Amino acid sequence: MIEHYIEQVSTYAADIDNLITMIAVITGFWFVLVEVVFLGLIVAYRKKPGVKAQYITGEEKHQKRWIGIPHELVLLCDIAVIIGAVRVWVDVKQTMPPAQETVRIIGQQWAWSFVQPGPDGKLDTADDIKTVDELHVKVDTTYHFKLEARDVLHSFSVPVFRLKQDAIPGRVITGWFRAKKTGTHDIQCAEICGIGHGLMPARIVIESAGEHNAWMAAQAALATK
Amino acid sequence: MTKIMAPMKARTVPALFVLCMLASACSVAGPAPTPEGHELFQLCSQCHGPTAAGNRAVNAPEIAGLPQWYIEAQLKKFKQGGRGTHFDDLTGMQMRPMAMSLATDAEIAVVSEYVSKLPVVKPAAELKDGNAEHGKTLFATCLACHGPQAGGMEAMKAPPLNHASDWYLFASLKKFKAGIRGTNPLDVSGATMRPMSQTLVDEQAMKDVIAHIGTLQQ
Repeated sequence: MIEHYIEQVSTYAADIDNLITMIAVITGFWFVLVEVVFLGLIVAYRKKPGVKAQYITGEEKHQKRWIGIPHELVLLCDIAVIIGAVRVWVDVKQTMPPAQETVRIIGQQWAWSFVQPGPDGKLDTADDIKTVDELHVKVDTTYHFKLEARDVLHSFSVPVFRLKQDAIPGRVITGWFRAKKTGTHDIQCAEICGIGHGLMPARIVIESAGEHNAWMAAQAALATK
Repeated sequence: MTKIMAPMKARTVPALFVLCMLASACSVAGPAPTPEGHELFQLCSQCHGPTAAGNRAVNAPEIAGLPQWYIEAQLKKFKQGGRGTHFDDLTGMQMRPMAMSLATDAEIAVVSEYVSKLPVVKPAAELKDGNAEHGKTLFATCLACHGPQAGGMEAMKAPPLNHASDWYLFASLKKFKAGIRGTNPLDVSGATMRPMSQTLVDEQAMKDVIAHIGTLQQ
């Protein structure tokens, strides 16, 4: 359902959407049921001529069932949510598939910068390719990212990946993504970081291997000029 | 005649009402009016200060009284990515989103005009160890474009320097020399400044020429 509004471009986007949909359906069901029962009771036990209001302690068995049965059913739903959430958490955050490429991502007021290995294939060497506001990646390739912040808290967010990770000054946080189709999409900051927070206008460009290699070659040529 | 006019009048009033409603709907759907300069300047003042005198703590230089053409040109460069997009231009990256928040060229023109009409504020000198006498010799290269009193020349796309914050001039010269400014293809006027910055051999030379600029009258 969510993919009708925002594309699923990473390999784990569907898992996260399914989890959110499951939680929305369960909580939605209980919300509607509770409101219907609540309003129904209000109408059924409204003021009537000749009927005196009474105080109910709720200690009778048939009264306690109104709380006890839903409580146990909600606990069962909680278990279902926890199982689903832990499974996604382990797959996305705890398990790190081996990296085919690594990119350094740096947040600062108010831009995203990216460092990718140059022709030598190694990060943090002289031929690194550095870009601002534009991250070029290959489709069907597992990337590890090393996320840093130069000044204050930021949060690296790629909505089509369903990826959101805080960037914290002084720490290097490693995560991963694998894009499953080509295209250009928004990157945004999801942590208030100052007056320009709403305008950290980066893009992720997901390319085929051929397009990406051509882009890398053009960048390497620019760097040597 | 009266019999014909009476029903027409009866229809005219609601017809006019409908027309007025449509007209007002059209005016709502049209482009929003450009805000006033002082309204747009509210955002700038957050860093540059209410008098545009600058605030070094947030890397914002003095901009009050700069010529409108120069402010417009820089705002457009920031917005289009000619400035503030170099990997090492950290302070430029702070300015770029602000320029991007100006939606149209008209807004850029209005806020630029407003800032250009603010009274010039000459900031206090912050760089201490510049030799103005030596800087006078070095300034010979600068005056061809910026003018003998560093008052700027629109024809050369050279801004006035004689009321600029000295720390900002120092930072800018370092950026030009390192290729952080003046290397973006969208920054054509910056490209003419970059080779000029190369004539200053080191940071002391930059401080010297800035010290001399500080002695010039507006």
